[in-house]
Amino acid sequence: MNAIEVQNLQRVYRARIGVVKRSIKEVMAVEDISFDIRSGELFGLLGPNGAGKTTTVKMLATLLIPTKGTVTIMGNDVVKDANEVRKHIGFIFGGERGLYWRLSGIDNLRYFASLYSVEPDISKKRIPYLLEMVGLKDRGNERVEGYSRGMKQRLHVARTLLHDPEILFLDEPTIGLDPVGARDFRQVIRDLQSEKKTILLTTHYMFEADSLCQRVAVIDKGIIVAMDSPSELKKHVADLSVIEIETFGTSNEVVERVRALSFVDALHVQEQDQRQMLLIQTSRGAEAVPDVMTSLNGTKVGRVIVREPTLEDAYVRLVGGNA
Amino acid sequence: MNFRNIFRYWRTVLTVAEVTLRHQMNDSFVLFGIVVQPIIIATLALFMLKDTATNAAMFVVVGSGLTGLWSSLLFISGNSISAERWQGTLETLVGVPTPFDVIVFGKNLANVVQSLLSMTVAYLLAALFFGYSLHIDQPLLFLVSLILSVFAFISFGLTIAPVFVMYREVQQWQNAMEYPVYILAGFLFPILLLPGWTTPISYLLPPYWAAVHCWPGA
Repeated sequence: MNAIEVQNLQRVYRARIGVVKRSIKEVMAVEDISFDIRSGELFGLLGPNGAGKTTTVKMLATLLIPTKGTVTIMGNDVVKDANEVRKHIGFIFGGERGLYWRLSGIDNLRYFASLYSVEPDISKKRIPYLLEMVGLKDRGNERVEGYSRGMKQRLHVARTLLHDPEILFLDEPTIGLDPVGARDFRQVIRDLQSEKKTILLTTHYMFEADSLCQRVAVIDKGIIVAMDSPSELKKHVADLSVIEIETFGTSNEVVERVRALSFVDALHVQEQDQRQMLLIQTSRGAEAVPDVMTSLNGTKVGRVIVREPTLEDAYVRLVGGNA
Repeated sequence: MNFRNIFRYWRTVLTVAEVTLRHQMNDSFVLFGIVVQPIIIATLALFMLKDTATNAAMFVVVGSGLTGLWSSLLFISGNSISAERWQGTLETLVGVPTPFDVIVFGKNLANVVQSLLSMTVAYLLAALFFGYSLHIDQPLLFLVSLILSVFAFISFGLTIAPVFVMYREVQQWQNAMEYPVYILAGFLFPILLLPGWTTPISYLLPPYWAAVHCWPGA
């Protein structure tokens, strides 16, 4: 049974621009998206910034009205039966905001429990249970402003589970968390999955999607460019190898020179402080390294690694190496 | 506003009001507006009116209370929706099954309770520190006037809150709107003392009518 069904979803933002001569500018955030999520499935939505992930999640969570298309959650239309949908869903948007910082963790939960019409005798038991589940049992009486980012994010999880929803929308929930906090949070997601919750997760971290999701959809410029299990998506790049080259002070001109090489399938640059990591996808494997080094011509180079492709490489290929 | 919802979700209304009150009482800006500022205004006015008519104290209590009400309306009710947006909580509030008007009603109930604190503070100041014997000629009329005034202020707040959300440039006028209304609404002295051309402006301001109707009751 499908918990979520999305058909030909579209959302156009209209903004007024200009002071004297006013005109309306239209931005196509989501062009045409269709997918289904099975009950109990953990489904990933991947894509670069501005691809339309958050807009899609907001439409599914009844926070935005679609321009076209339909979304049904547990058989209820998100526009016509928004109130019914809201009883079945919970959502978390990445970052620290979305909580009342001058209130304690417990007061925040009590407040939202009331807004979800959780009976007082149930919330009295559920709030301590959820605080323990997310590891905030001893900090519940403290004001949220004193919490770390990871603690705030875990309080968001507790807030989302107050009314025990069947479906969860997690929009980049680990963004900005330190590695330990992100790892703990991923464990929380696994625990929720083991409770048979249906989860839609958007993330920038491919290893996160690879390790958590049963299926992922890659979205770019408002359309889905691929949708499959992580292992099947990796087959898109099974014929390729990835050359990772650590460089220092590489100019755009040099990057474009490497990109133009005939055997380079895709090139992605990761900026890390003073250095740039060039991720080159090629079917020639290690044989391509000397030619690439020649093209780098005078650029300071650190370590060079040739490895098997990952989900991230499949993603880079799908979104055209511009991620 | 759907009043059937208010009765149906009465428990939620009370929780929203209680939690909002606690949240705002932890904000020093709010405390300044509803406690410290009315004390300053009441103290100045009580010193100025010390040797005048004996019933002047009651005018000061009501007037400084109304200044607290107006500041509360302008900055707290006016910003109530914008503040949720700044905190990132607006999306969550919109996405819950409870109707949004129930949440707004609960928040305004908190503002009502909070606003009355201004008047209570001014009352205690006049009675305990300045030794005035405060007497209300028509307590019932005063109470009804006060309650209606509070709801008029809150309704005005509900009207300006969406304006502040939709037209952000209007927010820049918030500070400039605070003191002129104290004067134009006649909170601390009759508007008859002002030039005649200001009178129509006073008539357009709901706080003026609140002040007018609270004086006879007091």
